[in-house]
Amino acid sequence: MLLHEFNPSIKAFTVIVCVLILSVFFDPVTPFLTLVMTAAATFIFGRVSFKRWILLFSPFIFMAAIYIWSALVFSKTIEGETLIWTWGIFTLTEESFLRALSLGMRVLSFTSLSLLFILTTKPTDFLLSLMQQCRLPPKLAYGIMAGYRFLPLMKEEFEIIKSAHRIRGVPKARTFHDKAAELKRYTVPLLAGAIRKAERTAMAMESKGFTGDKNRDFYHKISVSWKDWACFAFFIGVILISAYISWLFGFLQFYNGEL
Amino acid sequence: MLEKWKLREVIVLSVLAVVFAVVYLAFLQFGNVLYGMFGLIGYDLIFGIWFIVSIIAAYIIRKPGAAFLSETIAAAIEVMIGNAVGPRLILSGMIQGIGAEAVFAATKWNNYRTWVLIAAGMGSSVTSFIWGYYISGYAALSPGYVTAMFFVRLISGALLAGLLGKWMSESLAKTGALNSFPIGKELKRGKPENGITA
Repeated sequence: MLLHEFNPSIKAFTVIVCVLILSVFFDPVTPFLTLVMTAAATFIFGRVSFKRWILLFSPFIFMAAIYIWSALVFSKTIEGETLIWTWGIFTLTEESFLRALSLGMRVLSFTSLSLLFILTTKPTDFLLSLMQQCRLPPKLAYGIMAGYRFLPLMKEEFEIIKSAHRIRGVPKARTFHDKAAELKRYTVPLLAGAIRKAERTAMAMESKGFTGDKNRDFYHKISVSWKDWACFAFFIGVILISAYISWLFGFLQFYNGEL
Repeated sequence: MLEKWKLREVIVLSVLAVVFAVVYLAFLQFGNVLYGMFGLIGYDLIFGIWFIVSIIAAYIIRKPGAAFLSETIAAAIEVMIGNAVGPRLILSGMIQGIGAEAVFAATKWNNYRTWVLIAAGMGSSVTSFIWGYYISGYAALSPGYVTAMFFVRLISGALLAGLLGKWMSESLAKTGALNSFPIGKELKRGKPENGITA
């Protein structure tokens, strides 16, 4: 089964549950193994090219590095931990080092789970599934779809406003104050235009008979089968196996209570 | 909750969410620069901007759920555009929205004065911080640093969400695009001598 066929709502639910479970671990090995396995699943079952994946993933390596750095500098030292380095007021214990590393790995494992979702899910399918499986009111779902459709239109409008400013000789913003004024010059007309367009869209939808009634039928049906729940179980299993391996090597660490 | 909403309001809500989803993504880049410069607390400096749609939507539409739904939809749109933070972001959006919504609920969705808007921005700061504490493992950081982060985020929520949101909504209302919404009517009724025309 390809990840593209995995029911979008259950896929999103799986990712969120995985993230929630991963947040209880404070050792670097569990998130690292989860990262490796989810990435492998994305390549094998999602047929995602490595190039595309790494392009989206790489900024997070930088973020994880800064997180590790922050967590090291502002680490919490608990009495009785093994000291490995002191410099002035800075003290670094082995445990806090592992904790910092774990937080960085956590960022990366979250990213790999998220990429698995976004690289294998079509936005429209996701909304249709939310409507059909999670009882998202059609009013809201079609509202979101209409809004989503506005994105390219707004980009166009943005270009128009930019040209209009240029024609009228608005100078390029250099100082911070100018930049703030520029931001206002763009957002206010963009928003005003968008709101007017939204009102027209709503009118058009209503005149074509859209009532937002929950008892409607769908041309494009999205179903749930046992396979989707098997997929869910698979990813939960990935985390449990990661934690088990981490435990085998004596790394497994939950946060032990010092809140 | 949504039964009392007109379709017009729902679409306007979604469109606001779409615009701010793009703004949020842009600020993520800016946040990353600050993050690179100041570490974790860098995000907290501008964290308030990520609550602004709650304030704007609630201030414009003035119905129960506006703050919560707008933030949630903005997060969903960010995921749809393909932000690598992924579905978890929807949960974050809901949690941020609840913070602001709770403040509006406390006034029974009747009071949209400046201080309420500021308090709503701070409400989102509080809920988002609790969520961040769990999900980003702040428990492993030194308590002094975490406290500093919290206060910076609280101030950011008050200014960048509360005050900036109010100011933006009012600039928008002045264009006349919101004349069919409570905020536009209020503006017309309140200060007709300003020469505001539709």
